[in-house]
Amino acid sequence: MEILDYSWLIVLLPFAAAVIIAFFGKLMPLKGTEVGLAAIVIAWILAILVAVQTFSNGPIEAVEHFFRWSPLGNGFQLELGMYVDGLTSMMFLLVTTVSLMVQLYSREYMLGEERFTYFFAMLSLFTFSMLVLVIANNTLQAIVGWELVGLCSYLLIGFYWEDKSNQDAANKAFLVTKFADVGLIVGVIVLSAGVMDTGLTDTPFNIKQTLDLALSGHLSSGTIILGCLMIFLGAVGKSGQMPLHVWLPDAMAGPTPVSALIHAATMVTAGVFFIARLYPLFAQELVVMNTLAIVGTITLFFAGFVAMVQDDIKKVLAYSTVSQLGYMVAALGVGGYTAGIFHLFTHGFFKALLFLGAGSLIHAVHSNNMSDMGGLRKHMPHTYWTFILGSLALAGFPLTAGFFSKDEILVAGQTWGNNGMWTGNMVLVLGLAGSAVTTFYMARSCLLIFWGDYRGGHAHHGAQDHESHAEVVQGKPHESGWQILTALVSLALLSVPVGLSGGFLWPSDERNFETWTASTEIEGTQYPFIVGEQEAVDHWNEFKAEHLAEGAGGDHVEGEAATAAGDHGAPLAGGDGDVLAAPVLLATEGADGGDAAHATGAVLHGAPEFEPMLAGIALLIFLASVGLAWRIYGRGKPEEDPTFNLGPVTTLLVNKYYLDDLGYRFIVVPVRDKLAALAYWSSQEIIDEAVKGVGGLTKRAAVSTYRTLDQKVIDGGVNGAAFSAAWWSERLKRIQSGNVQRYAAALVIGTVALVLVFAAAAA
Amino acid sequence: MSPVAPLILATFLFCVGVYGVIARRNAVLVLMSVELMLNAVNINLVAFQSLIWQDAPAATGQVFALFIIAVAAGEVGVGLAIVLNMFRNRASVNVDDVDLMRW
Repeated sequence: MEILDYSWLIVLLPFAAAVIIAFFGKLMPLKGTEVGLAAIVIAWILAILVAVQTFSNGPIEAVEHFFRWSPLGNGFQLELGMYVDGLTSMMFLLVTTVSLMVQLYSREYMLGEERFTYFFAMLSLFTFSMLVLVIANNTLQAIVGWELVGLCSYLLIGFYWEDKSNQDAANKAFLVTKFADVGLIVGVIVLSAGVMDTGLTDTPFNIKQTLDLALSGHLSSGTIILGCLMIFLGAVGKSGQMPLHVWLPDAMAGPTPVSALIHAATMVTAGVFFIARLYPLFAQELVVMNTLAIVGTITLFFAGFVAMVQDDIKKVLAYSTVSQLGYMVAALGVGGYTAGIFHLFTHGFFKALLFLGAGSLIHAVHSNNMSDMGGLRKHMPHTYWTFILGSLALAGFPLTAGFFSKDEILVAGQTWGNNGMWTGNMVLVLGLAGSAVTTFYMARSCLLIFWGDYRGGHAHHGAQDHESHAEVVQGKPHESGWQILTALVSLALLSVPVGLSGGFLWPSDERNFETWTASTEIEGTQYPFIVGEQEAVDHWNEFKAEHLAEGAGGDHVEGEAATAAGDHGAPLAGGDGDVLAAPVLLATEGADGGDAAHATGAVLHGAPEFEPMLAGIALLIFLASVGLAWRIYGRGKPEEDPTFNLGPVTTLLVNKYYLDDLGYRFIVVPVRDKLAALAYWSSQEIIDEAVKGVGGLTKRAAVSTYRTLDQKVIDGGVNGAAFSAAWWSERLKRIQSGNVQRYAAALVIGTVALVLVFAAAAA
Repeated sequence: MSPVAPLILATFLFCVGVYGVIARRNAVLVLMSVELMLNAVNINLVAFQSLIWQDAPAATGQVFALFIIAVAAGEVGVGLAIVLNMFRNRASVNVDDVDLMRW
């Protein structure tokens, strides 16, 4: 476990890089990129070592180190620390890998930009911030990381701040997520207050202790519901769930590598990650789970449609990201802990790939619009196949990463539905429908970009075109350089194995994605609201106790071994068939799963499970969508895009369900015209007057101080000292007469006086 | 023999010397008064050695007196040189005239 103790290095390396680049980057031969790359490479290697360590050990007890940071009062402590388990190491791997690829990519993509060094400092700072959030062992530290990533996001969205529209996009992103963050902070405070009330710990923000207290029933259900819903509000903002997703498509104003790193692969998954981190808490209350499922489902279903009418390739991918984040949240809402974070993991890779691919296209074509592309598969063969691979993964083509993870989400929904939860069926049905939409818009994009004839070349460098290279490339688009291609190919090749790790083809039942990310807290969690749950748990505990007793009394089996044996023991499964039927729950856990421990209902996740029916349906949907897209777009861009020809539906979609307009009319306008005016008035009339009054008073006080204190007291004192010194010296100087005989007389008098004094003293 | 008589003599001589140093205006007389004071001390030294500590292994008092006589000779030499220079510069040996080192 030793390497896990050094996980903090992964976090601090990018920070060191950020500081060094910020101060010395411009002096370096490669403008600071070498520092950023070196730091992230080392961090990446460490992340791999940590991942290998956690992966090969199955569900491990998390490694927690912390130091007391500052007292909170009343004997409570605030910590700063690290909490490393499978989930943490999974995020480490994702963040460092994508960050590494993006930094390599940006060295070419951002070449010649003003603020090139600043960009790399920001990338490193972002990586650090995200890792602070990931490694946090307490919710306050997580908030610190959460806000830092928000800051980096803001700064990088507004990277081209010369354009007003980019400033607006940055402000919008910042304000929307900040509104949601209020919820997060309130939620964290509610939870910590609940923990404080128990009086059982002196670290109220500690995540592990919060979870333990919740699982042992010390937190009231009101605390949990309010805390979780408020934290979920934060996640809604950060992870782009409807209706607070409005900032995410606008965030595409930032440079494309930033979109890949922050607004697709890592930062936007922070909300999902945080829910997963606190998942045992969320699983306690049905109302919280249902909220997750409903918001997630709405998001996954409706966001996809908007992607169908976009012409800007980055906007397509942005809405796609919103939709995929909806899948993750919905999966968490239907008990699919593993499914949700598995999708987070795979999505991070292939969405980063897609964004970087889009950046490569934009780099070549000098336009974000798909109507300016077309036929690029001949000009950019490597970008072409990597982009197609990413699209297939996103659309869930069999054996790609998205196939496994999305399949698991659907299975989670199905299992949840089988346990009598209507949200499970909702996720299943709308998830399938959503995957049809996903496939359609990705097929549309790929066909518009890579098939047909090249429609660009008439270099119109509009306002949004400052991303283009310094020299204007006319004529045919060209393939990007090796650094961009390395990043693309690496991510493309990664898109397959990351999916296999959690898929049913993975050879090991003991060491796979599910056991990797299952922390001990997750293993011990139950759904209190599922009927039959408690019975099953009681049975299981009884059985375990018996088994342990046998083991100890009988053949000297260690307690641990006995437990392990119990994990696979059939007796429970056989004996309690009817109880088992209800709480089979858990995510992808099949009813026939050999793992009796999981079947007790004491688990929130499941081993990879293959549902041929579901996969078949998903494949059919995939083929149908691709076929439809081929019919429409197969022969190049049609004169009139049918998605723009659906009457009111198109209007609705093009206007993004009017959510932005509603937000503008009912939030921005009132705030701007009423609240802002009020604030201005209060600033002018109240605060300014107060400041003026204080200023006047201060001036009068100063004048009187000058007249009395300074002129009279201090100056008088100083002058008096001088005058008295002069008066005394005028008199005392006469002693120095120059007459030697007087001195001699004084000497004699003094001697006689001394003799008399000593004589008197002796007598 | 009692040391009282020599001590009275020494005290008298010393007082005469002190008076001379303080009261006389003539620099030569001031020097001579200083000699009187020194010799008063010499009488004390010799008297104590020979009347009270005559068994002491070394005649420290007498030796001291000899040293003082030698030093006094040197001192008078220097003092007379100063007085001569004073007389050359000012045509006077009045100590009241040499009070330049004052405020």
